[in-house]
Amino acid sequence: MAMQMYIVAFNGEFTQEKSRDVQHRVKDRGGFILMVAKTGVIVAMDDSQVPAVEQHPAVSLVGGVTLNPRGYAADRLQRIFAENLSKQLEIKTE
Amino acid sequence: MPNVGAELASVPFGKMIYDMASAIARSQIALDKASISLVKVLAKTTFDYVPDVVETLTPNPRQVKNANGTPMVDGDGNPVMITGVLVTTDVGKSFPLTLLQAGVNPTFYQFTNSTIEVKMAITSTQESQNTLDVGVSVTASADFLFASGSVTSHVNFTSSNKYSYSVTGSSSMSTTLVPVPPPKNMMPRFFLVNAMDPKAISISQS
Repeated sequence: MAMQMYIVAFNGEFTQEKSRDVQHRVKDRGGFILMVAKTGVIVAMDDSQVPAVEQHPAVSLVGGVTLNPRGYAADRLQRIFAENLSKQLEIKTE
Repeated sequence: MPNVGAELASVPFGKMIYDMASAIARSQIALDKASISLVKVLAKTTFDYVPDVVETLTPNPRQVKNANGTPMVDGDGNPVMITGVLVTTDVGKSFPLTLLQAGVNPTFYQFTNSTIEVKMAITSTQESQNTLDVGVSVTASADFLFASGSVTSHVNFTSSNKYSYSVTGSSSMSTTLVPVPPPKNMMPRFFLVNAMDPKAISISQS
């Protein structure tokens, strides 16, 4: 299985609680939050965890996305994703 | 005797291929629909995009102060100056940008390399055993006037046949799903009108 980038779209109106709850579900399943928007969150997670996130009552759709390097703000999004990812990664030293 | 050809002919290859192709077609449609829904989500998801941040450095010479706060001068009475710098920041006006415009594309998937594998094992064993037991006994007696004799014989024939025939089969179907770039017809076209120089407006499509 592979880690991929997904957008997790919310059901109905945006609320902080709903967004936080969905993000917790993604985190619990070993995923990472790359960006949060009002209609959904962009996450990186393993393929096998998609059904578990999809089953969340506040989620309407989970779909794979890719970053088009020729996009208008692709480089900036890439930086945002990398920055947010780095805050969630734990580096173990032994 | 088992007829291997007949057994193989009984495998419904045509139906299996049709069922698999039909399932793939249905799955492909469902995947495409999901990806198209994703295009809508991405087109609706906006964020405030700050196009530029300008930082301007300008000289800001300052006179060094003594410990008591008074301006410091050297032995000739000249003020002791340092070259300071003043940084002013001008953040460009933000505007909403959709994730689709920004460069987040939905992933489309395509089925490739579909394989149907049928394995069949036909086992046939035949075992026959025949036993033949032949026995002859002769008895004879003789008297003064009579003589008698008897001959007895027996034949035991046993025949046993064992016949077994078994056919076992298994089939497996596999297909590969790969991500592909979004089809052009399913993605909106982006036009960039560059009007930075009103005398040379250019339009480009991406």
